[in-house]
Amino acid sequence: MSTWNLRYAPASLAAVFALGLPAFAPDFMLFEFSIAVSYGIAILGLNLLLGVTGQICLAQGALFGVGAYTTAILNVSFGWDPVATLPFAAIVAGLIGVVVGLPALRLQGLQLAIITFGVASAFPQLLLKMDTLTGGVTGLATDQPMAPKWFPGSQEVWLYGLSLICAAISIVVVTRLLRGDTGRMLRALRDNPVIAEALGVNLTKGRLAAFAVSSALAGLGGGLFCILNGFISPQSFLPMKSIDILIGGIVGGITSIAGAFIGAVFVVFVPGFTTDIDPALGGLIYGLCLIAMMMVARQGIAGLRIEGLQKAVLGIFRIKGLSRIPGSVPGQLGGE
Amino acid sequence: MQLFFQLVVDGLASGAIYASLALALVLIFRATRIVNFGQGEMATFSAYCAWQLCEWGMPMTPSFLVVGALAFLLGIGVFRFVIRPVSKAPVEAVVVVTLGLFVVFQALSLWLWGSDQRAFPSMFPNVGWDLLGVRVTASAVGIVGVLLGLAVATGAIFRFTRLGLAMRASAYDGEKSLLVGIPVERMLMLGWGFAAVIGFVAAVLVGPRLFLSPTMMMPILLYALASATLGGWDSPLGAMIGGLIVGVAESLGATFLPFIGADLRVVIPILVTLLVLLVRPVGLFGTRTVVKL
Repeated sequence: MSTWNLRYAPASLAAVFALGLPAFAPDFMLFEFSIAVSYGIAILGLNLLLGVTGQICLAQGALFGVGAYTTAILNVSFGWDPVATLPFAAIVAGLIGVVVGLPALRLQGLQLAIITFGVASAFPQLLLKMDTLTGGVTGLATDQPMAPKWFPGSQEVWLYGLSLICAAISIVVVTRLLRGDTGRMLRALRDNPVIAEALGVNLTKGRLAAFAVSSALAGLGGGLFCILNGFISPQSFLPMKSIDILIGGIVGGITSIAGAFIGAVFVVFVPGFTTDIDPALGGLIYGLCLIAMMMVARQGIAGLRIEGLQKAVLGIFRIKGLSRIPGSVPGQLGGE
Repeated sequence: MQLFFQLVVDGLASGAIYASLALALVLIFRATRIVNFGQGEMATFSAYCAWQLCEWGMPMTPSFLVVGALAFLLGIGVFRFVIRPVSKAPVEAVVVVTLGLFVVFQALSLWLWGSDQRAFPSMFPNVGWDLLGVRVTASAVGIVGVLLGLAVATGAIFRFTRLGLAMRASAYDGEKSLLVGIPVERMLMLGWGFAAVIGFVAAVLVGPRLFLSPTMMMPILLYALASATLGGWDSPLGAMIGGLIVGVAESLGATFLPFIGADLRVVIPILVTLLVLLVRPVGLFGTRTVVKL
């Protein structure tokens, strides 16, 4: 009973917090939280890809943008209802994610990082190039789904509810995937692909599936972001966006579902608080957090345990010996 | 044909810049098996320091020398305090840390000097010559010359000095080098220091061509990554040749491939990288590594 409590207490607490938020948060705050949820969905995808299957993707922001543009184009050019476009945003981003993931079949950590970093850098240029479809520099403005008349709360509460539904769907998908055989297969891709393959795991299928699901989540998050914001332009999807998403994943906890949303809140609110002091401060905090997290708490905020923290802090002072041995095997990032 | 040669000359000049940053990346990779995504931003930071010294009235040459020494210390410091603690961590963790360096140094430059673009002094006189209708500027010649100088200097250090031998040995096999009495840790540290200086040289070459801004080196980094991949990550010579090839390919591709054009020139390094990784993952001059199970 007590382990059950331990497992589900934080999750139910988070759910109560998320549902109760509209009661005491002002509307603009609620809007920020909705944006955070849309990032959280994309980060959740990255957590599945990087944390569970151990494949690094620095193009998550570009895939987020693919989702956002799918929603915007379907809405602006074809007059679809914005909410109805969300599944398509996920599907299109998922398909493009598979294309981005194709090199991952042959490449490991570093090379994959380089290629996906390139994709992230090229994405805004590509948007500018295809300006007949994407509106170029001016961007696209979309309709916002209006709250129906019977709905008692404000427009922001309605959109926040929409974000929570999307988040709930993504969380259900990811928890289902991580359970049982599929989950074990995905972790095996990270821990030891050679042995996994010898035991009959189809590496190609597993890796591409992970990329597809992760990108589909990024696309869903992006579509949601587009709906919430009501306007998108190539400026919203610069390569830094991918790094922001990675920062969220790492800070929150790269193997944790709750961590994805903690990280998203961090990524959305830290720049908001710090730009008043200095516009560069946010970046400085981001970068230092990334480095510090890798040194002290590789499992992020969600993975913090008091004794683990103590051990990690002591560990810094105890590191001795040889640096990285050439040819060492890439291993797991999060560890469980 | 004239246009073609003009583009090749321009491409070689920008290629030499990519090559010098690629050289810095490769030196670090050889020594520590890490791709430093923060290399470009560290270089930008040093270039800002140099600009600041010039602004305070120090002549150009001594200020470049002073900042060169600072960059060396910066590289050593980064290795000692940031990279070494995570050197045993998995690849993904180290990539995240170097991305952290990228973000930190970019924010630091933005914080100290703001986002305004600054004019960076050029080391080369503003003259040019006409060779059979192809315009060759002093800065293009100078940039390629600096690259050659770097190439010869690195090559000579690695080939002819005891220090270079020790560095090569520690890069080749850290454990065994330790057994024969090479201070491996110190060699890796020196490697990071040298790489930071070479990165600074790249930034000094870029500075006058673009304007100095906190994000100046971001696109260059992408080209340098492509160059290093093309040349082979464990070959300094390969990185330089790769850089020149990428530079020329970019210059020609942007003009002669209509669907790419000037907007999409950033796609060229990505295509080059992808092609190399899929066809010959070790690059032109890389050595194949054998993974034992």
